[in-house]
This record gives sequence, C-alpha cells and structure tokens, in this order.
Amino acid sequence: MKAPGAAAPRPPRRWPGSLFARLMLILFIGILAAQAMSYWLVMYERGMVGRDLMFDNLERDISTSVAILDRVPAHERARWLPLLDRSNYRYQLDTGIAEQAPANDVSRSVGAALGNAVEARYQLAVRAVPGDPKHVQVHLVLSDGAPVTIDLHATSMPVSDWLPVLLALQLALLAVCAYFAVRIATQPLRQLAGAADALGPDLRGTVLSEAGPTEVAHAATAFNAMQKRIAGYLSERTQILAAISHDLQTPITRMRLRTELMEDEVQRGKMQHDLDDMVSLVREALAYAKSLHGADEEARRIDLDALLDTLRCDYEDAGRAVRVTGRVGHAVVTQPLALRRILTNLVDNALKFGHDVELAVQEKPDARGAPGLSIAVLDRGPGIPDAELEAVLQPFYRVENSRNRSTGGTGLGLAISQQLAAAIGGQLRLANREGGGLAATLLIPGG
Amino acid sequence: MQPDHILIVDDDREIRELLGSYLEKNGLRVTKAESGKHLRAALDQVAIDLIVLDLMLPGEDGLTLCRDLRAGKFKNLPILMLTARNEEADRILGLEMGADDYLAKPFAPRELLARIRSVLRRARMLPPNLQVEEAAHLLSFGDWQLDTLGRHLVDASGTLVPLSGAEYRLLRVFLDHPQRVLNRDQLLNLTQGRDAELFERSIDLLVSRLRQRLNDGAREPRYIKTVRSEGYVFSAAVQAQRDAS
Repeated sequence: MKAPGAAAPRPPRRWPGSLFARLMLILFIGILAAQAMSYWLVMYERGMVGRDLMFDNLERDISTSVAILDRVPAHERARWLPLLDRSNYRYQLDTGIAEQAPANDVSRSVGAALGNAVEARYQLAVRAVPGDPKHVQVHLVLSDGAPVTIDLHATSMPVSDWLPVLLALQLALLAVCAYFAVRIATQPLRQLAGAADALGPDLRGTVLSEAGPTEVAHAATAFNAMQKRIAGYLSERTQILAAISHDLQTPITRMRLRTELMEDEVQRGKMQHDLDDMVSLVREALAYAKSLHGADEEARRIDLDALLDTLRCDYEDAGRAVRVTGRVGHAVVTQPLALRRILTNLVDNALKFGHDVELAVQEKPDARGAPGLSIAVLDRGPGIPDAELEAVLQPFYRVENSRNRSTGGTGLGLAISQQLAAAIGGQLRLANREGGGLAATLLIPGG
Repeated sequence: MQPDHILIVDDDREIRELLGSYLEKNGLRVTKAESGKHLRAALDQVAIDLIVLDLMLPGEDGLTLCRDLRAGKFKNLPILMLTARNEEADRILGLEMGADDYLAKPFAPRELLARIRSVLRRARMLPPNLQVEEAAHLLSFGDWQLDTLGRHLVDASGTLVPLSGAEYRLLRVFLDHPQRVLNRDQLLNLTQGRDAELFERSIDLLVSRLRQRLNDGAREPRYIKTVRSEGYVFSAAVQAQRDAS
C-alpha cells in the first residue's frame, strides 16, 4: 500500500486525465476535421463547376458582343453598351486603366478562355488590375482602330446563408451523439471502480447489476464472482482461525487445571505463564479473524471524554499510569466496543514498549475538510524504526531489535487495531515522535 | 463451618475431575454431574450452594437448564456459567437466562475460584432487593439507564456514557440495593474486582468518580447520598427493563 503523498511527481499535464474527456476530445477533433474536409471538397467542386460555367458563358457572350460592337458604326456604339453589360463585366470605349499588375490565375484563365473565342485581329490583351486579384481588364482594338475595354470582376457563386448554420447543427448533433456514446462506454467503468472501492475490509461490497451491453455485463459478472470468491477465502480463513482457537480451549482449560495441581511451584509458575501466552494468542487470533469482518456493532452516540477517562481509570485501577489530554466536549457517533478495543490495544502496546503514556484527543478535520477527531496514543521509548512503521501493522510482524518476543504479545494487537479502525471508517497512523517514542494516531470521522 | 458445596456440570470428564480436585484442594465440597439429568438427580439428593454450569452440553444445554432452575424451586441458587467463547451473544443469553456471573473458557482456575467466592459472598451478604430472575438488560433510575450487558450508562438523550470496570461494579451494587445504607466495608466486598485490590478509602474515590459520571453533585446528590459515619445510600427508584424502549 502506498502512502498518500509518496506518489512520484506527475509530468505537466497536456492530455486530459479522464477517459471521458479523452474520448470526447478525440471524437470532437475527428468530427471537426471530417466536417472541414467535406466542406472544402464541396466548395472546391463548386468553384470548379462555377468557373467552367462562367468561362463558357464568357467565351460565347464576349465574342458575340465584340462582333456586334465591331459592326456597329462608331457613333452608335455608346448606345449599345448598356445592352451588352452583364452583372460582372461591362464594356468601356477607352483604353482602361493604364497600370498593370503581374499576371495572375484569373487573368491567365480569362486570357485562355477568350484567346480561342475572340478573333486574333482584335489584338486581345488581358491585364490584371493592381489592388484586386479578381479584377481584370480585357483590352481589344476594333477593326476601325477604336479601343474597347472589358472591365471584369471574376465572381464565385455566393454561398447560401443557411450553409454555416446547417454545418453547425450537424456538428452539434454529432457532438451530442458522441457524448452519449462515450458516457455509455465510461459509465460502467465508473460503477466498477465504485464497487471495487466499496469492497472494504468488511467485504460487504455492492453487487453490480449484470444487465447492459455484453461486455459490461460480462465484466460485472466477473467482478461479482471475484467478490464472492474473495469473501469465500476470507471467511474460510476466519473459520479456520476460529475453529483452531475454539478447539484449543478445552485442552488449555485442562492444562491450566493440571498446573494448579502440580507440586513444583517453580515449574507451575512457568507453565502457567506459557499457558497465559497461549490463551492470549488464541484470543487475539480469534479477535483478528473477527475484525476482518468489520465491526458488526451498531454505531451509537457516545461521550468520548467519558470513554477516555474510564480507560484512564481502568488502567489506574490496574496500577498503570495513563494521562488524558484534550477534550472533545460533545458526543460522537461511533462503534463504542470497536473504538475501545482499538484504544486498549494501542495503550497496552504503549505501556509494554514505552513509558509516560498519554492519550491526546483533538478535533481534526479530514483532508476534505469534513469534521473528524484525532485520538493519539503517545509514549516515550524506543519507537519503531521508520522503515518498519508500515510493516508492524501486518499480523504477526515483530520488530527485531526493540520489540521482540521476550516482551510478550502476539503480534496481532496493531493488526487488529488497524482492521477495526478501517471498520469504523477511520485510519490508524504510526509515527515516531521527536525526542523518542511512538505516536499511534487514530483518525475517526465525526466531530 | 460446613464447606460450601459446589456442583460442577460439564460434559468433559477430564475437566470435571480436574476442576473437582482443584476446588476441593481449596476447601470446597464438590459434586460432579455430566448432564442435565445428573444435575437434577444431584440437586434432589444434596444441598448445593452454587452451580458451575457449562454452556455447551449435549442434550439440554446450559441455557435451558439455567432457565428451568430459575423457574422452579431453585430460583435463588447461584449459578456461574462457563461459556465457550467470550462473546457478547453468549453473555447476553447467559445473564438473561438468570446466571449470576459467567466466565469464558479457557479460564484461569484462580479466576474461577475468585468468582465462585464473590458470587457466594454476594448471595449471602445482602440478598438483593431485585430478584435474580428479574436480572434485566436495562436498569433505569432518574435520567439514566444502566445497560448491564454493555456495562455502560445511557443518558436521557440516548448518548452512551462508558464506565470503568470498578465504577460499573459499584453502581451495580447500588442499583441492586437501592434505599439501603451500605457501609464502606460492604461496598468494598461487593465491588472487589478480579484485577485490582481496593482499599477502604478508594470507595470514596470511586463514589466521587461515579457521581461525576452521573453529573451528580457532592453537595446535594440526587442519586448517591452520603450517610455520615455510616456509608452511602442510593436514593433514587430503580426500575428493571428487559429491552431498550
């Protein structure tokens, strides 16, 4: 298990974190690109067709108009002009604009189109007009030597107003579809993660619905089966532990009675001591097995200050000094037996390995700011090597040097406390104190 | 003085024999029975002072036997129940069926001996005002309820107020004998726990701790009143309830 905060620093994020956002992003970019391409294709085709059409007209129209102007007597030409004008080009009886821009696409195409249609004797010249790439002037000389200029604006067919609206609508429709599709794909993952999270140490996980698309139903079935299997293994483990502990009770009871009848007092004392160790191991193993199933205890409102004070009194009555510092001042909702068990284990541990034991309670909101309490069991003593702080929460783990077997204990106390802490929705944290000693801190919700 | 006569009921022959020898060695008279049938036969033949009854018996189990005894002419006979596990459920059942005390196997023989003596002492010294068969889950007095299974107090708002072992035992003595002046010696004897040696002065300390838990002032206490040069008296009325209400 990785401690929070120990995770490696993440590289700066360029790519959205959630699958939902990533799929949406990919689909959106794809749709946008496809739309742009089809728009471009349509516009290109349209441009080509329009242009061909325009030059076709231009060819026939201009050759006819020039022929008419050529035949008409010079003084009547001005009257003919309005009749010959078209929407994008008109005729002038002068030499037009003198400046000339370098030839461009439009001037070349117009030149090519007219070159075939207009007879060579008219001395055709097509010039681009500076300033507007679509503005072209065609210069001609009629057979009587009079100049004619065709002032031409190349136009493309206008795009209808509704086209962008239609495209936007299409884009929106695709985006909505993508949103629902992505949601259908990612929702089951979220549910699966939620169910896996809910599968706490008490193994009362949520059963996933096995309906829905095939892949999802399959995953849900597999998850439910896995959940059942894990619960099965654990309950088997609990049963074995419980059965062993239970069956040891009768022989241990007999042995204890036998030692009382033994003559040799020294041996009797030693044997009783061994038997006490066995009894505590049996009891702790049973308690550990049960703690894996969580605290099957009802949560109640409890006067926490009174609980801590009674713990102090119980230890005092047994001749052990424990101090209580801090006050909560109000009732707390929790599972009292589990809480008591956790604290008793921690205090027993502190008394066994340290001295100057203190129970310190204070309000401590959790990381998200929800109200919470911290109850710390502090001692002065050797503490635990930092490298082993996590390992000591494992069942039967013992620290080699400072806390060894000769000091007794089953190696289960902290494991039980950790399990029960999780069962009551809390956390157990161990840390070494400045100046020596251990701080075992229980964080519980509520305040 | 005649030694106390203990009836051991357990289906494990070895435990019966060994326990018998151990108790005899400690000055008690012992009769052994292996089942409910033998238990009844023994009760008909000899006068018994206390029964050590195993919960797990083939045929009629300890709980059934306990309830039957309480319903008949042996309703005041002290019973110490041996349970297989130290489980809440067994404890609840055992005490509700009318056992005076219980002990989880594997018990330490000295602990059993101490419990036997303490139950006998309690039964002899002051017969409780409340009858044993009424041994109830909840005892209410004033604004409080004492939960005898969880061994804690519950206040009027339903908040649980824990008690230390000694505090619980002392309060229990008071609640079993309301309106009766108890001197320090009596309180000491009845409150004596297994793990701690109490002294006469510590009764005063315990009383003040208990008053604190009950929000009871020392000047004008509502519940535990001091009787000058005699001892203490529990002055509130106590009612037994079987279940939380």
